[in-house]
Amino acid sequence: MPKLPRISTREAIRALERLGFEQVRQTESHMVMNLSKASEMRNGLLVLIIVVLFLPFLPLLVWSFAQGWFFPQLLPAQWTLEHWTEVFFGTARVAEGLLQSLTIALITTALSLVVGLPAGRALGMLEFPGKEVLKLFLLTPIIVSPLATLMGIQFLLIRLGLSGTLAGVVLVHLMPTIPYMTLVLASVFANFETGYEIQARSLGASSVQTFLQVTLPLIAPGVVVGALFAFLISWNEFLLTFIVGGGRVFTLPMVLFTLLQGGNNGLTAAVAITSLVPGLVFLVLAGRSLQNEAALGGLGNV
Amino acid sequence: MEHLLLQNLTKRFQDVVAVQDLWLSVSAGEILALLGPSGCGKSTTLQLIAGMLRPDSGSIVLDGKTLNAVPPEKRDIALVLQRGVLFPHLTVGENVGFGLKMRGVNRVDRESKAKAILRQVQLEGFATRKPSELSGGQAQRVALARSLIIQPKLLLLDEPLSALDANLREEMQELILQLQADTGITMLVVTHDQSEAVVMAQRIALMFDGCLRQVAPSEKLYRQPVDERTARFMGGVNFFEAEAIGTCWQINHHQTLTSHQSTAGKVCVTIRPEQIQVFPEAIETVNCIQATVTANRFMGTQRRLTLTAQDFTLQAWTTPTQDWGIGQQVWAVLPPDALWCFSSAGTSFSG
Repeated sequence: MPKLPRISTREAIRALERLGFEQVRQTESHMVMNLSKASEMRNGLLVLIIVVLFLPFLPLLVWSFAQGWFFPQLLPAQWTLEHWTEVFFGTARVAEGLLQSLTIALITTALSLVVGLPAGRALGMLEFPGKEVLKLFLLTPIIVSPLATLMGIQFLLIRLGLSGTLAGVVLVHLMPTIPYMTLVLASVFANFETGYEIQARSLGASSVQTFLQVTLPLIAPGVVVGALFAFLISWNEFLLTFIVGGGRVFTLPMVLFTLLQGGNNGLTAAVAITSLVPGLVFLVLAGRSLQNEAALGGLGNV
Repeated sequence: MEHLLLQNLTKRFQDVVAVQDLWLSVSAGEILALLGPSGCGKSTTLQLIAGMLRPDSGSIVLDGKTLNAVPPEKRDIALVLQRGVLFPHLTVGENVGFGLKMRGVNRVDRESKAKAILRQVQLEGFATRKPSELSGGQAQRVALARSLIIQPKLLLLDEPLSALDANLREEMQELILQLQADTGITMLVVTHDQSEAVVMAQRIALMFDGCLRQVAPSEKLYRQPVDERTARFMGGVNFFEAEAIGTCWQINHHQTLTSHQSTAGKVCVTIRPEQIQVFPEAIETVNCIQATVTANRFMGTQRRLTLTAQDFTLQAWTTPTQDWGIGQQVWAVLPPDALWCFSSAGTSFSG
């Protein structure tokens, strides 16, 4: 086990104050510190927010195990596992939708990284005429509703023969993800110390080596956040997939849509919860890696 | 025999000419200081030499090889930036070994070489630490080790001491000079501090507004600056007008100074404050001027006096042990070999 760091009492007090404790009283070398009222309120608020965020999911969870749940029952009269067996072994094409969603989301994330990294770097580190206009232009897919442009896009994709194909869907998913990825990375690069790259080049690293061994590890938190955005946007995308995929590209949101119209609330709830899982996993992984980066001191950029 | 030669180097940033037609030669094993106020183009010159910027015209020749088209990583030139800039995600040992890793040296050799050089910079045992755990001075030393380990042909230091505390500065100066003496490496130090340049370098290249003003050994810049701006930048404070006839310089209606410099016409005379000798009584010697002490400041290692003579004031820096009263009548001796002049227009006459 590594040696524990030695800190002075003053440092310990300062650290505790940062965590929300305040000094209550001190007699000689004995000091009492309690969580301050402000801290307690803050913690209370945090709990409230978490409860409010998770509250809508509770009925879903209950529904997924319910045979039938009717008003004014507080809880379902009968419980069953049939919805969950249907999800895993049934014919509702859940596994197919899951796999398809995952594939599209991963490809979309990878491609938006490929575009977003050099674009974000240019926006963050370089000065060129029209830079502010370009930034605004990048935001348009987010500002403008996809519905407005959907007809035009569909027309174009039909012409290109990409309508109803995986490639077409991925292309269309890139529309909202690239702006987010680029802007996140632009802000990371804006705070990036150019000296690192200069030193690396001076020590003998080529541009590629510099990027892989110096730049990338240092912007990793930003990359993780950007990838998280891209993944989640693509994972939850319904409208664009529905129109462009034309039913031939079958993602999880499409499964949900079909089920919602069917009226089997239990099965829908089970599928809905299933669709949450990869997003949550990704989020937890991202959070973990961001914590590590923070420990390394690289988080100042994000 | 020149090791580094800059020929006709010019670099423009839109409308601003940062470096104009620069010619400079550095000998092998020499320490040259590139000195100048901020914005004079010295950092740009450094970046051009390192390969981070492309010159608009001119060439950079190192050891006979023209470097213009060579990318920075192949130039065999190490650059140490102002604040060390160590890679935060690597340990000290990995930082130091980075250059060797880029050159394909295996891990075992890298680690042993890194240990050896860390010992040289008095940071033995620091190999496993992270840069965030180091003080400013320690980080700077790691940066030096990181650059020297690859044995570059040229070492460029960009304001190596300006980010350090005053007491650390001297230690670092000593270390840099020691390392240079041990390795014999050619060094170019960029600084805005003339006292730093004088300590660290054998020759100083003074730059103003993108052009070289004077390139000479440090002492010459002090005693024979090429114009008033140079003299002021090097810390000169005494400037007064005179009418010169050969070596007799008339400073007002009844006072004439004798100098070692022979010239003619209206000139601007300067003398370094530390060269003026102050006496409580008149003495039999040339260039003895009567003056009154109007200010007296104790500066620790010296005493700074302001002496007001009939039509001009002089600043004299004398030994701190002797004290003077305000209003006291003194006699200031201006040694003839310490007097230097340039024409009021600014260029000097060779003396």
